[in-house]
Formats: sequence, structure tokens, C-alpha cells
Amino acid sequence: MRLSVAAAISHGRVYRHLGLGPRSRLDLLRNLVTALVRHERIEVPWARADEMRGYAERLIDYAKLGDTNERAMRLANFWLTEKDLIHKLFKVLAVRFQPHPGSYTRMLHIPNRDDIDRAKMAVIELKGNPFPPLIVPRRDTEKTLLNQLLKGYREDAHRAAVP
Amino acid sequence: ALVMFFSPLPRLRSLLQRCWGQLEHGLLLGFSRGPSPPWGPALAVQAPALLPEPVSVTSESNEVPSLFDSILWMAAPKKRRTIEVNRCRRRNPSKLIKIKTNIDVCPECGNLKQKHVLCGYCYAKVKAETRLIRIEIGKKEGGPFNAPTVETVVLYDGEKPTEKEEGKRIIERARKRPSWFAQD
Repeated sequence: MRLSVAAAISHGRVYRHLGLGPRSRLDLLRNLVTALVRHERIEVPWARADEMRGYAERLIDYAKLGDTNERAMRLANFWLTEKDLIHKLFKVLAVRFQPHPGSYTRMLHIPNRDDIDRAKMAVIELKGNPFPPLIVPRRDTEKTLLNQLLKGYREDAHRAAVP
Repeated sequence: ALVMFFSPLPRLRSLLQRCWGQLEHGLLLGFSRGPSPPWGPALAVQAPALLPEPVSVTSESNEVPSLFDSILWMAAPKKRRTIEVNRCRRRNPSKLIKIKTNIDVCPECGNLKQKHVLCGYCYAKVKAETRLIRIEIGKKEGGPFNAPTVETVVLYDGEKPTEKEEGKRIIERARKRPSWFAQD
């Protein structure tokens, strides 16, 4: 039973090391959050998308408090490097997500990158974006056996109820 | 003054050395006193009290044990591994490539996809259309850093904006609406 901490073994450590250091990691995530707010759908390595998701959702939560809130404005000023997106955040995204309590982003797995590194990629998008949907929900056709049986049952019930 | 005296016969000298070595060894075993100076033979004439050390001792002690000696301690296979034993080791399930059971057929296009991953073909389709929409947005915005403060809606050939899309910016795409992009 290991009782001492070995610095080189990383079993069970949950915090990711992105970029060149902690400040570099924050800059990286800041760039990704800005890109997400600008383009509303981006294709990034999976680990970065996972890290960025939490920050983006918290930013939208703060934006929902309104742009008169000093704290929300300072956070938006830090996190969005392109300053015209601050207007978009408070006027478009906060309004769009007002009725929703949480989970403003959707993250989906993509086939590995075609480059030599074959990186695990993800596409992260804000819900309600104007682009075509990535997943089209398909309903079963009426010709399946279960649907035919259910249709017959409904018609029988209707015929029994009417007269 | 000391006179360096060498015995006339070298054979007599080596005999004397060996006899003296045995004597000293025996006496040391018998009387192991404290640190006493090593005895030398008491010679009748003036001569160096101590015999020069036998030459053979020092030369061997500093040498590294040669490879010829250490070959005895190295591992080597005793018998040839038969082809049956080799096959058992090489074809053990832990060494074979694992079968993936998470590959399925995409219901939309019929290509293969992994169950937890989006279909590559369908995603490429959506990506191409998104790119064209973004080109149209770029044309509408003109320059960089002109993000609008209203929502955006994409309309295809022959579609009119409904009253639900009143305050929104409209992006026109000059093609028929694709079946997988339903109008909400």
C-alpha cells in the first residue's frame, strides 16, 4: 500500500495541463471561449472543448445577470478578447438562454483529425444557433410493427368510445 | 651506512620469500597480537630489514574480474524453445489485436461510424453547408469585428421570413433547402 506521494505518477489526478503553464492555459481557453461566442460552433480537440465548456457556461450565467452588473461586465471584458462580442453576449445570448436553467452548450465527438497526430476531436456549439443541426432526430416510420399495432389499438379504442 | 646486499642466487631469494611468508602466516594465526610492526628476518649483515613484498600479490588484486570469469554468471537459454511453445506465446489473446464491437452503420447515409462518434460523411456535409453560410455572413458583415446584436436566421430559395423571425438578421442561401435542415 503506497503511503507516500510520488510526484511523477498521476493516477487519479483530474486537472488537465493545457498549454505552457497556468496562465497559458487560461489564455488558450479565453481564445476558445471568444471563438465560440463569435462563431457559435467550433471544432476543437476534445480535452480543450471539455475544459472550455464549463467556463463558457459560467460566463453565460453571469451574462444573464444583466450588463449593469459590474462583476458580469468585468468577467465579460476579461473572457472576450474581441470587444464587439460583449454586446453580442449580453444582448443576444443572455436573451436566448433566459428561459433555460443551464446547459447552453452541446459537445459531440467527431472522427479523429486527419493530420499525422490523429487527435480526438469534438465539436462544441451553443444551442439555438442558426446553422444546420448536427444530429437530426429520426422518428420511426409508421410501417414498423409496433407502430402498426399501436395504430390499430388507438382506432379500436376510438371506435369503442364514439357510439 | 647501510650496504645494499643482494643474495647471490635469485632462486635462494624466492625460496627464502616463500618460507618467510608461510612462517609469518602461521605465526600470525597463532599469536594475533595488537598492531605490531611486521617482523623482518634478523640478518647478520646490514641489509634492509624487510624483504620486498612478493611481486605477484599486488598485480592481481587491483585488476577487474575479467569477462572470462564473469561469463559464468550470465543468463542464457538452456534449451531451444519449440515452435509449439513459441506459438502459445505469440498467439496468446493478450497479444492479439482486440476486436471493436462499437462500429455501426449510420442510418442516414449507410457509412460506418463508431457508436459514440458522429458519422464522418454526415458531419462533412453539415460542415460544408456551415462554411457556405459563414461566407454569406461574412459578406453581409463586411469587415472584421462586426458581430450583430440580433439573432440570425438562414433562409433558402423562395422562402419568406415568418412573423417569428421578425427582429432577426436574414442570411440568404441560393439553393434549395436540404432535407436534413428543417425549418423550425
